[in-house]
Amino acid sequence: MSTPTTSPLPAGASRGTRRPAGPRPLAGRLWDDRWIYLFLLPTAILYTLYTLWPIAASYWYSLLDWNGFSRDRAFVGLANYRAALDDPLFWQAFRQTFLFMVVTVPIRVALALAAAVALNNPRLPFATLFRTALFLPVVTTTAIVGVVMGFIFDPVGGPVNLLLLRAGLVERAVNFLGDSDSALWTVMGVHVWKWLGVTLVYWLAALQTVSEDVYEAARVDGANGWRVFRDITLPLLKPFTVIIVLLTAVDTLQVFDLVLTMTNGGPFFSTEVVETYIYRQAFAATIPRLGYASALAVIFGLATLLLALGQAGGLRWARRAREAG
Amino acid sequence: MADGRDGITRRDLIRVAGGTAAGLAGATLAGPVAGAAPAARQDEVVIRWWDQFQPLEALHRSIWDRYTETHPNVQVEYTVYNPSEMGQALQLAFSSRQMPDVHSLAGVSVPVPRLVADGWFTPLARGEEIRQRLPAGSLLDGITVFGGQVYSFPLFSFRQYTSCNWFNRELMEGAGVDPEVGPQTWDEFRQAAAAVTDGGGGQIFGWIQGIQFTDRLAVHVDELAQMAGALTSGGIDLTTGQYAHGTDPYVQALEFLVSLQQDGYLFPASSSLDARTARARWATGAAGMFLDGPWNVGVIQGEFSEFLDKVGIAPIPVANPQTPTFVHAVPPVGQLWVSSQSANAPIAEEILLELTTPEYYVGLAERMDQPPLDLTAVDRAEVHPTYRRAVALFQERVRLAPSPVVKNPAVADVLAEMAEVHPNLGEIAQGAFSGDVTDYRAALTEYAGKLSAERERAIGVVQGRGGQVSLDDWVFPNWDPAQDYTDAFYQPAGSGTPAAQ
Repeated sequence: MSTPTTSPLPAGASRGTRRPAGPRPLAGRLWDDRWIYLFLLPTAILYTLYTLWPIAASYWYSLLDWNGFSRDRAFVGLANYRAALDDPLFWQAFRQTFLFMVVTVPIRVALALAAAVALNNPRLPFATLFRTALFLPVVTTTAIVGVVMGFIFDPVGGPVNLLLLRAGLVERAVNFLGDSDSALWTVMGVHVWKWLGVTLVYWLAALQTVSEDVYEAARVDGANGWRVFRDITLPLLKPFTVIIVLLTAVDTLQVFDLVLTMTNGGPFFSTEVVETYIYRQAFAATIPRLGYASALAVIFGLATLLLALGQAGGLRWARRAREAG
Repeated sequence: MADGRDGITRRDLIRVAGGTAAGLAGATLAGPVAGAAPAARQDEVVIRWWDQFQPLEALHRSIWDRYTETHPNVQVEYTVYNPSEMGQALQLAFSSRQMPDVHSLAGVSVPVPRLVADGWFTPLARGEEIRQRLPAGSLLDGITVFGGQVYSFPLFSFRQYTSCNWFNRELMEGAGVDPEVGPQTWDEFRQAAAAVTDGGGGQIFGWIQGIQFTDRLAVHVDELAQMAGALTSGGIDLTTGQYAHGTDPYVQALEFLVSLQQDGYLFPASSSLDARTARARWATGAAGMFLDGPWNVGVIQGEFSEFLDKVGIAPIPVANPQTPTFVHAVPPVGQLWVSSQSANAPIAEEILLELTTPEYYVGLAERMDQPPLDLTAVDRAEVHPTYRRAVALFQERVRLAPSPVVKNPAVADVLAEMAEVHPNLGEIAQGAFSGDVTDYRAALTEYAGKLSAERERAIGVVQGRGGQVSLDDWVFPNWDPAQDYTDAFYQPAGSGTPAAQ
C-alpha cells in the first residue's frame, strides 16, 4: 500500500497543516518529528549510559564471584542470591530500611501537611520566612548535616542534652547516637527535619489547586477552621495524598549519606540500612565482594520496584478519584 | 504490507539508533584511553602519583622538586586520597587502564601476591640496588619480592604498634600520675582513668577512644590481648595455627576495655567518634588518655600545635607486669608500587629510589608519622620527645611475627579466597560497648569458629585448583615469641634452621 505524499495540494489548502489519511512511511514520520528525536537524543544516550547500563551490569555482576580488582570473575550462578538469603545482617539492614520508611513517611507527610496548611494561610505574617526556614535544611549538604548532628546530640555538652538536663527531663545525658536503642530513632528524626521541606513543597503545590472560592463559601456558611480543614481541604487533597506518600516513601529509601555520616551504620549494625550494607560489601570490605553486593542491590532494587508499582497503581487511583471528583 | 506498517517500525529504528549512538559514545569515551597520548611535548614526562600519605606530602614534594631540577622534562602530578576512597579509585582506574605510574595500596585488601599475579605492577629493574640500600631482611619473598624480582620496598619499620597510651600530662599530673612514666599496667590505667574522671566534674573523663571505627578498635583489642599473653598475629595463634579470639586473653582484653566504660571513665561520646574526631576531642582536654599509633604526635603538631606541650606517652599497658609480653608485628610491606600500565616505569623507579636514602629516613622521622624503616634515623632527626620515646618503646616491646604468606606464598590465595565474617572482632567489641553483645566469650568463640570454617573452605578451594597449601602453613614450631622471626627462620629443616631459644 502506498500513500501519496507528494501529490499536489488542493487549491487553498495549507501544506503545513495537511495530514494524509493513511499510514505514512517510517522515514517520512521520523523526518516530520526530527526535532523531537534530536532533543531526546542526549537524554536517551545519558540515560542508557548511566542508568540502563549500570542496572544491566549489576544483574550480570550478581552472577559472578568477583572482588572488583581481580581479573578472575568466576560465574557462580545464583550462589550470591543464596548467600544473601542466609545473611542475617543483610536482612537486619533490610528490616531497618523499611522500618525507617514506615516510621518517617507518616510523620513527614503529616507534619508537612500541617505546616503547609498553616503557611498557605494568606493572613499568616512572615509566611515566606517560615517557608524558607523549613526548606533550608533540604538544600544543606547531607554530609555536613550528619557531622553537625553528631555535635548537637553529643552526650557531653551537646545542646539537646543540655536542654533535656536543664529542663529536668532526664537525669543523665542521653547517648543518642552511641546507644543502639536510640541511634536509629535519632537518625529518623534528623531525616524528617532535613527533608520535611520537600514534602512541604508537594503539599503547598497541592493546596494551590483548591479554589479560594470554596473556602470562602464555607466560611460564609459558618464553618470554623477545623471544619474547613476536615470537610473541604482534606477531601480535595485526597488524590494528592497517594502521590505524596509514595514520593516520600521512595525518598526514605535513600538515606545513605545521612546514615554514613551520623553513625556509619553503628553501633553494632543498629542503624545499618541496605544502602550502607551494599556499600560496605562492594567497597569498604577487607576484600570487596562486588558480585555479592550486586546481588544485594538487585534484591533491594526489586523491592523498590514493588514500591514503584504501588506508586503507579496509586497514581491511577488518584487520577480516577480526581476525575470522579 | 497487510497491516499497513513499514518493514522497520519506528520503535525498531529508535532501538538501532540508540544502540549505535551509545556505541559511538562509548567509542568516543574509550578513545583517549586507548589512543593518543595527552597533548604534551614529546619529551615531557608526567609521573602520576597517588597515595594517602598526606603528612609526607611536603617531604615527597622536596624529593620530586630535586629530581625535576636535574630532569626538567619530568613533572610529578600528585593526588592525595582518603585511604577509604583510594581503593575505589584504583578499582576503577585499573579496569579502565588509567592507573597512575606510582601508587600505594590503601583501601585495597586483595593480597598482594594476587595483584602481582593479575599483572598490576611492574617489577623494579634496580631491585638489587634497592636491596643493598635497605636494612638487612627488609625485603621478603611473598611480601615485596615475587619470583625473585623486587616489586616494592617498605618505607616504614614493622617495629610499631597502634595502642600507645598517649595522655594529657596536665590532667595526669593533676590526678597524681607521674607524667614522665605514665600507667604501665591495666590496673594503673584504670586508676589513672578513675582519678582523671573523678576530678573532671562530669566534663573531663579518663579515657577517650573512637569506638565507631571498628577496624581500629579491633587492632586495640588484638594488641591488648597480646599484652595479656596471646601469642598471636592477626588473631591466629602461630604455635597452633588456630584462631584464638575465643581464648582468655581476648576475653580479658575486651572485659578490661568495656569495664572502663561501665565504671564511667570512658568519654561518653566515644561510641559515635572515629579515630580522628576522638583525637580532636582529646586534644581539647576532654579526656586524659587516648590509645593511638606513633603518628598521633605528628598529627597533634600539625593540627593542634597548642596542645603539643601537654602530650605525654606511656607504653601499651600490660595485664600482668610479671609476665613478659610482646606485640607481634607482621613483616614490613611495600608502600609504593609502579603500575604495569605506566609508560614511564624506569623514571618512576628512579624517583622511588630517592625514598631509600638516609636523608629520606631522617625526613620521614621528622614528619613523626610511622617510624622510618631505618630506626637509627630517629636519633639523627629533630622530633618531639614523645615520638623518640615511642620508637624506644617499640624496640622493647615489638617483635617480628612469622608470616604464613612468607612461609608459603600459596597462603595468599587462601586469604584472597576467604570471605569476610561478620560480626568481626571490631564489631563485636563495638557491640560490647553498646551493650548488644553481653557474652563476650561466646561471641568471640563463634567468630573464631566461623573464621576457621571459612579458612578450611578456602584451603579446599585452593587445593582444588592445584595449590599446595595446608593448615600446617600457619604453624611455626620454631617460633620464639621473644625474638624477631627473621627470614633465616623460614629455611626448611636441615638447612641451618635457627632453633627456638
